[in-house]
Amino acid sequence: MHKITFEHIAHYYGEKETLNDFSISFERGKTTCLLGPSGCGKTTLLRLIAGLEKPSNGVVKIEGTIVSRKKEIIVPPHKRKIGFIFQDLALWPHFNVYQNIAFGLKEKKQKNIKSKVAGLLDLFGIGDKARKYPHELSGGQKQMVAVARSLAVQPEILLMDEPLANIDTHLKENILQHLRTIQHERQFTLLYVTHDHREAMKIADYILVMDRGKIVAAGTKEEIRCSSIEFVKSFLNN
Amino acid sequence: MDGKLGKHIVRFVPLLLLFGLLGLPLLLLVFQWLTGANGAGLLSFINGDTFALIGNSLLISSTVAVLATFMGTVCGFWLYKFKLAYCGLYKLLLLLPLLISPYIFAVAWKDGFYWLFGNSSSIYSEYGVIMVHTFAFFPLAMLITGSALSRIHTGFEEAGLMVVSFRKTVLKIMLPLIRPALTISFLLILIFSLSDFSVPAFFGVRTFTAEIFTQFSALYNFSLATGQSILLLIVIFALMLIEAHYLSDAPFFSISEKGTNSKQYTVKRPFAAHLVLCMLLILVLLTPVFMLALQSLSGRVFFFAKAWELIRPASIQSLKLASAGALLVTLIGLWSAYVKERKKHRWPDFILLLTFIVPPTVLGIALIRYYNLPSLNFIYGTSMIILIAWLGKFGFIASRIIGNGIKQIPVSFEEAASVIGIRPIDRFFKISLPLLVPSIFTAFVLAFILCLGELGATMMVYPPGMELMPVKTFTIGANAPQALTSSMTLISLAITLLSITLFFILGKWVFKKYRYA
Repeated sequence: MHKITFEHIAHYYGEKETLNDFSISFERGKTTCLLGPSGCGKTTLLRLIAGLEKPSNGVVKIEGTIVSRKKEIIVPPHKRKIGFIFQDLALWPHFNVYQNIAFGLKEKKQKNIKSKVAGLLDLFGIGDKARKYPHELSGGQKQMVAVARSLAVQPEILLMDEPLANIDTHLKENILQHLRTIQHERQFTLLYVTHDHREAMKIADYILVMDRGKIVAAGTKEEIRCSSIEFVKSFLNN
Repeated sequence: MDGKLGKHIVRFVPLLLLFGLLGLPLLLLVFQWLTGANGAGLLSFINGDTFALIGNSLLISSTVAVLATFMGTVCGFWLYKFKLAYCGLYKLLLLLPLLISPYIFAVAWKDGFYWLFGNSSSIYSEYGVIMVHTFAFFPLAMLITGSALSRIHTGFEEAGLMVVSFRKTVLKIMLPLIRPALTISFLLILIFSLSDFSVPAFFGVRTFTAEIFTQFSALYNFSLATGQSILLLIVIFALMLIEAHYLSDAPFFSISEKGTNSKQYTVKRPFAAHLVLCMLLILVLLTPVFMLALQSLSGRVFFFAKAWELIRPASIQSLKLASAGALLVTLIGLWSAYVKERKKHRWPDFILLLTFIVPPTVLGIALIRYYNLPSLNFIYGTSMIILIAWLGKFGFIASRIIGNGIKQIPVSFEEAASVIGIRPIDRFFKISLPLLVPSIFTAFVLAFILCLGELGATMMVYPPGMELMPVKTFTIGANAPQALTSSMTLISLAITLLSITLFFILGKWVFKKYRYA
């Protein structure tokens, strides 16, 4: 069974169409990169999976269960076992690093919160920043905290909306390496939005190329690299 | 199902309550007017005198709006676009006239004219009303235009400076960009000036609002007062419709500069700038205060003790009620702002906007006619009716200030909490609320100061046995010696300024503690 399935999804922001008759499935435990120019509907797709948007039409399924359908959220975001790393990271400014990561665990009344948070902080090499507030961190450290926070609640699906834009290649590599290690251990499904095809080629098992709310091409890295579709070739060459 | 029902209850019960408290009285006023003409015709009270009165009121208010908007825009430009020492202090001091009842300035300037020219007869005219209203309301334009100026993106100005002079950049780039702010300032000041009866009544100038007050409170001609109120409502709504969209989103002022990327210029002659600003402060703030003090001390009898004795119980009652009023206004403002910004549920904000633009005299009449029933005496006969009137007058301001604060919190903060399983109530209390503390504090302080000095609606609705500071000063002013009125006004002013100072000190702590860079 596929982890996530979209069936004939359409989505509008007011009058503007963002997704049009969109059908696709994402495999469990794999990394899929959503590739495409700005405004092509990548973020909307993630938000639909997370339950932050209602589809205007169609059905979203997770593990075969309908979680959203036409103008209705059936399973609320927090019951979907999802981690979401937002483009602006959305670190709560009034919580320090420890509190940001521990917040979800506390609300779920989990045990050994301190050790779980400490483990994540050490994994990302920011153990000494636990008492710092977001505004006291560098850009890379903030990104580490955002990733750690989303992993703390042990999601089965991790959605990343271009969270590693604007950081240097070395740091990006470092974060992605950590992420791959954890994904290998926990086997969560990763959906990674980017408009950088080189980044997509590095980390993806599958790539989905989108344009103006539609799927232009979908397949493995090699299939996409060898695609004869003009838009894909042009996008990869640029 | 239960969750949905709960959501609907949370959404509609407070809305119905708000509508019942404030919206229905206004609707009832219109209904009573439509059904109570006794065949004489709904508009039978309209004659040449009515038109002359409306024309005169509009002329005075338009002049005030033009002058105050111009003055406020110039100040806003200087204080928000130039790097000037003590800029924050100037802003704070120039804001004070807005927080003090215009009636206090009317008393002060009457004294001032007497002291300067030997008699004060020249201020008992339309010019006197225009002067006092302009000085009282220009800070509103300063706040609104200054806030808009500070939100202009640096790039727009710098691109302009690449091709034209600074003067032309101001005229051709900056001013067109702040056109909505200029329009809002003009309209709000026009409505405020049109709504105020205290200054025209004090100077003996006939305006439409003062006439309504006289017909209702002095001559007990309720049907005429109702008809005139409806006419005034029509005028105000016609004015509001012009820019309803901009007005409903009017920021008033933003307490955070997050997201602003505004260019600031260096002052070439800082001494001249300080001189002009100091002269303005002397004119609009220090002279009236000085005049009040001078007049208080000028009588043969030292009136301070007598004034204090008269106003002390009223001031204690005023402070208590203003605290309760500010709390109510802030809570409703928070709810209205939150459901508007986050749930796209605009009705509470619309009801508050409606009652905000209705002149206080008209709101007062509507509340009296609605609540004056034996079954509602627990509201009509108690301070609750004053709290409702204040909610109507200031709820919208609180809603806008808090709404601005909410707009500055990225939606993703709440979404991030939602995804990891935080319940909506916890998202509100643990994520949004702590980030909103500065906005909530500002809304509370502003509501407190405005409630403390509110005269228009309070004068209409205050129940027997209740003594409030502005009402006491206004009513006693008709028969008491001038020195006593001035002394009472000075004490009222001192209490207001003391409250502002205390809140300013507290605010420094609040902003430091709850400021998240």
